[in-house]
Amino acid sequence: MQNAPAAAMPAVAGLAHATARPRHGGGLKRRRELILIWVFLLPSLVVFFLYRILPLLWNVMLSFQDFSLFGKTGWIGIQHYRDMLEDEVFWTSLWNTLLYIASAPVGIVLALAIALMVNAEVRGRNVYRTIVFLSYPLMTVAVGIIWRWMYDEKVGLFNYVLRTLGIIDTPLPFLQSFEWALPSILLANVWQILGFYMIILLAGLQNIPQNLYEAASIDGASATQQLFRITLPLLRPSIFLAFVIGVMTSFTSFDLVYVMTQGGPAHSSELLVTYIYKNAFELSKVDYAAALTVVQFLLLVALTWAGNRISGGEAGAVKTE
Amino acid sequence: MTANPHRPRRAAARRKHHWSLHVGLLAVSFFMLVPFYWVLKTSLTGENIFVYPPKLLPNDPHPFYYVDVWYLIPFARYLANSAIVSALAITANVVFNAMAAYALTKHFRGRGLIITLLLSCMMIPFQTTIVPAYLITGKLGLLNSYLGMALPTFSTIVCIFVYKASFDAVPKSLIDAARIDGLSELQVIMKIMIPLSASAVATNVILSFIWSWNNFMWPLIIVRDPNMQTLPLGLSRFLTYHENTTGALYAFCVMVLLPGILLFLMAQREFIRGLTSGATKG
Repeated sequence: MQNAPAAAMPAVAGLAHATARPRHGGGLKRRRELILIWVFLLPSLVVFFLYRILPLLWNVMLSFQDFSLFGKTGWIGIQHYRDMLEDEVFWTSLWNTLLYIASAPVGIVLALAIALMVNAEVRGRNVYRTIVFLSYPLMTVAVGIIWRWMYDEKVGLFNYVLRTLGIIDTPLPFLQSFEWALPSILLANVWQILGFYMIILLAGLQNIPQNLYEAASIDGASATQQLFRITLPLLRPSIFLAFVIGVMTSFTSFDLVYVMTQGGPAHSSELLVTYIYKNAFELSKVDYAAALTVVQFLLLVALTWAGNRISGGEAGAVKTE
Repeated sequence: MTANPHRPRRAAARRKHHWSLHVGLLAVSFFMLVPFYWVLKTSLTGENIFVYPPKLLPNDPHPFYYVDVWYLIPFARYLANSAIVSALAITANVVFNAMAAYALTKHFRGRGLIITLLLSCMMIPFQTTIVPAYLITGKLGLLNSYLGMALPTFSTIVCIFVYKASFDAVPKSLIDAARIDGLSELQVIMKIMIPLSASAVATNVILSFIWSWNNFMWPLIIVRDPNMQTLPLGLSRFLTYHENTTGALYAFCVMVLLPGILLFLMAQREFIRGLTSGATKG
């Protein structure tokens, strides 16, 4: 029963405050409770240790090693990083990953427009929301196959529409061309992730107190002023969250690229993630792949940090409900 | 979705925009739905695979390609593999996440540290772990196995927090009353926490299903045995073997997409709650 006062305290989500609770022991009962707590945490912690924390550390170690699956493993210092500087495909895939990231704001602006529309009191808005979101839970491999074929040079829908409208004379081989392969994948990616951005922004919009708009209306603020003075500033955490997801996607978009172009032609749509996969599992350069992963991860952390700074340091401030 | 006390006034203010809003939203919906229409149409007719210009409306639809899928590839095998892996992932998520979340509702030394740790782990996308994850799974002897495919997804941080939010909302008085009635810790969980968190359970089921059902990269890495391949791997294999030469490829796509779409339509709210509460794939 000694625990009752502490348990009645409102649960504060956040950092250590365990020290704040009374120390006088609950004896055996408390000890049994502690055992239960750690036993309950164990399975999840084991999974996260094995597949998040350990890999992160092992990646760093591997990146300084000369590793082979069957031979001897030794330390070679920063050789892999030095190789990377000389590796043109690395620079291409890095550049492509950055382009992928740059496409995120485009998607977010589109999603914001849609979120504002479906947040209005418009009839059937739930149907619209469902339609926009419907592409997100789809299997990305299937999405890639569908888009790959809409991009087809001979009978694809895109070429048909563009030719019928007279925009192009000869069919474009979208996924086989150096200029168009990556943008084509980006478009498919935006199509799939748009609904996710929308849902996040919508949740943010619904957290903005309505009375702010009413007060602004009374003061004579126009709709545009309300958008820029109330909606966008208050939506900053949600926009940041959407941006982080966009950045993550650029690092994780393996499925689409693998199915649509395999990174080709001639690495023109290669991303870091696909290049890492190729190095590790097709060329058996496991150690080099690990070094690439370290670079990729550092980039991810840096971008998230920068995004967080820009958004005013309110990372994860989106409410649970 | 939130209750709005000023609904009539706002509705009146917005009404003049209705018409243009509908035009905008219909246009957006059109672009979002075109790929669905296109794949469905081709899976039923196969007509715009060889012929240019493509016909926009389906002509003489038939289900033959859907039948074809069963003969061209071991569809039943892929389906069974996918189902087993998903079932493992769902079960593990529902149980392990609930356990972890329940532990986190309690006060103990190191709780803050664990929460910080979980939040940091969320920033490590699975794709940045593949190389060591492959080596670890190999060391565990789980390459080419169902367990190996499902293990990394056994617990999802987002879903732990979904459970935790739900558990935190259970009134403490209710739990104390149950204790006084002599319920054990386990009984409190099974008889009070879980029944009051039905929607958190649903969120866990749906998210873990969708993520494991759609998972491609991980099985691609650790599965070499054709008998162990899941649907996404089968789909990619089919593409490699047959390219775009048969409508069966698109029938295959539709068959693979349907379970996810149906589940999503049935439980949209739970799905979206899970995504907005924690954002990225754990």
